Amino acid sequence: MGSGRRKGGCRRRMGMGTISSAFSLISGALDADQSALSIVANNVANVNTPGYTEEVPNWQENLPVTINGVSYGAGVTETGATSMRDRVLEDRLDQQQQLASASSARLTALNSVQALFTPDSGSSTAAAGDIGSDITSFFSSFSSLESDPTNVSLREEVLSSAKVMAGDVSNAAASLNSQSSALAQQASGVTSQVNSLTTSIAQLNQQIETTSPNADAGTLEDQRQQDLSQLSQLVGINQVTTENNGLSVTTTSGQVLVDEGTSFQMTSGSVAGATHFFVGSTDVTQQLASGGGQLGGTLTALTQDIPNALTSLDQVAYGISTSVNALNNAGTNLDGETGSVAVPIDIFSQPTVVAGSAAAMSVVMTDPNQIAAAALGLGTGDNSNASAMANLAKQSIVNGQTPTNFYSSFVSTLGATVSGVQAENTAENASVTQLQSRNNALSGVNLNDEAAVMSKMESSYQAASQVFTMLNTIIAAALNLGDQTTVA
Amino acid sequence: MRVDPNYVSSLVGSLDQAQASQQQLTAELSSGVSITSLSQNPVASGENVLLLNQIQQDDSFTQSSSLVSGQLQVADSSLGSVVSQLTQAISLATSANNGTMNSSNIQSVGIQISGILNEVESLANTSYQGQYIFSGGQTSTTPFTTSTAASPAVTTYNGDQDVNYLGTPNGQKIQLNVPGSQIFLGSGTNSVFGALNNLVADYSTGTVNTTQAVADTQALGTAMNFVSQQRVSIDNSITQLTAASDAVTSDQTEVTGAQTNLMQADVAEVSTQLSLSETQQTALEDVIAQLDSASNSLFSKLQ
Repeated sequence: MGSGRRKGGCRRRMGMGTISSAFSLISGALDADQSALSIVANNVANVNTPGYTEEVPNWQENLPVTINGVSYGAGVTETGATSMRDRVLEDRLDQQQQLASASSARLTALNSVQALFTPDSGSSTAAAGDIGSDITSFFSSFSSLESDPTNVSLREEVLSSAKVMAGDVSNAAASLNSQSSALAQQASGVTSQVNSLTTSIAQLNQQIETTSPNADAGTLEDQRQQDLSQLSQLVGINQVTTENNGLSVTTTSGQVLVDEGTSFQMTSGSVAGATHFFVGSTDVTQQLASGGGQLGGTLTALTQDIPNALTSLDQVAYGISTSVNALNNAGTNLDGETGSVAVPIDIFSQPTVVAGSAAAMSVVMTDPNQIAAAALGLGTGDNSNASAMANLAKQSIVNGQTPTNFYSSFVSTLGATVSGVQAENTAENASVTQLQSRNNALSGVNLNDEAAVMSKMESSYQAASQVFTMLNTIIAAALNLGDQTTVA
Repeated sequence: MRVDPNYVSSLVGSLDQAQASQQQLTAELSSGVSITSLSQNPVASGENVLLLNQIQQDDSFTQSSSLVSGQLQVADSSLGSVVSQLTQAISLATSANNGTMNSSNIQSVGIQISGILNEVESLANTSYQGQYIFSGGQTSTTPFTTSTAASPAVTTYNGDQDVNYLGTPNGQKIQLNVPGSQIFLGSGTNSVFGALNNLVADYSTGTVNTTQAVADTQALGTAMNFVSQQRVSIDNSITQLTAASDAVTSDQTEVTGAQTNLMQADVAEVSTQLSLSETQQTALEDVIAQLDSASNSLFSKLQ
């Protein structure tokens, strides 16, 4: 770039020197142009190489030769390529990429969670599998029983709606549990990718420190940056430049993953039934969950979102099962019997603790006559216990709320969480795109640019070669002393 | 500043977004539902659960009310028949008490009243769908049985005093039955069976103790009025049930309307959005086709 102008600049106080020095100057110019052209060719060849950073030729003016106080220009040399890199921008892009990958992994997990709770549109076919409708149907079946407490088909309806509700709740819990184990497996799979990237970064560090301790290492740094940006998609990291152009990589909370030429392997293992992650012997699960990257997002879903949904389902199952069972044992069934602590007459399997209630929810009653519609000591035609059970729908039996209100706020909260993460992810992706675009603007290979530079370098090369031809003619004329035929 | 040489990739990103939005809109159009996942509208999703709960409760009450209204109608018509039977018994007794009848006629009145007694007893033992309706909570027990061992005969109540109620969705309670003893075996002169049994005994021998017979006839009159009063509470329940059903039906219509508004896709609006999105996609595709064309590179102009 600008070689002609610089060569011109060398003429400031210059006599022509000798013809042979003019030859050396021009052949230097030809070399420099050719070298610049090969850099352009390299750029064009790598236009689609991931992580490749555009390289530009460096021009350096040769020291002028001073003879008897007169300065003679010595031309220009192309000293090698410089990669168009902005470390701050790249680092910023990596940071943002970590956030975007985290929210995207979390969003994927949350989307599968919310798919289990698709809003019921109100049509009868869509109502199938909707826990909210199940809860209402179950309590409504007691309202129907109220109208005719001895009617066996109404009693059957209570049991069948109880079975549907218990089935849907336990299925949802089972799906959440299997999503949880799938995510744990996926998270463990990430560790091997992280390890191969940190190993590669450590090797590249060694090469860079050896070959280019004081300057940009070109394609080696491109590779290292490419590894870093891939690593950023997987885990939240910080990078610190060390001496001799080396690099240390830590997790966002400071656990060292790469220290110049050494990398530290990440491993995963089961601790108390949950997947935990270690670097060396340090448990970094908590740090990684809040750190970012795909692993951060997955761990957030695994330790926060799925357990939250499960807990809500557990509360629904526990609240309904225990309250309904308690009332059923406090009334008289169609056979005139009343349940006791020793021989309980339960509708649902009785849970002992909240945790796990949803997965274990099931209907244990098989005989519809065992539903205690009548109050204690009254005739079997009494309906007051059925009324009481129907009224449970209006009582705060699930974590201080009515079952329907609890379920309603659960779906709202889940929906709001998904929608929040969605908005976060959209914003972060937009920011990544913007940073990517700024980074590409600086570091990407623009073919039009390359074509222009190539054209300029070719012209410069042609100009230099013409001067070379002229010098050749002049030197031939000088050697022949005016005779045109001896030397061509 | 240079532009991002990879501008096509960001355009492809926009194209992806346009396509995702079209997919969503098409799903809304084909299903007719505007909210297909919780995150699309969390507040509406929560509200939807509550509205559906209300609709289902209303629906269930409408079904229950048609069941119990049958039972209440049967109770009402039984009591109506009881009243007309008793009216007939009173007019028979009055004619027997005026001293113009001979002994055999009086005995025949006694037999007729005894027939009325049986009729009233069977009305008091009316059942609906296999369950006795005047026996309180003991719906499988015959509420009234008469023992003729003594004279006058004694009718006893085998049910209990249990009253069932039906709860409406807005918390109102509608009485579903009146225990039989309260209707037919009221205290003192309010006892239908007591008065009837006494009259049967009064006329059984053919000679009438007029004072006693007149007093017993008056007692039957009082007891009949008492039955009519008890019938009013059944009639009240029927009125309440009808009113509650009407209220629930109109509530259901309203809530269903609200729920439909909440969840239903506005076809006109969604179609417009879809058409806009399609136009955007076509535009993007054109731009990408033009920008990405190899002939646009400066290299192609260099010969």
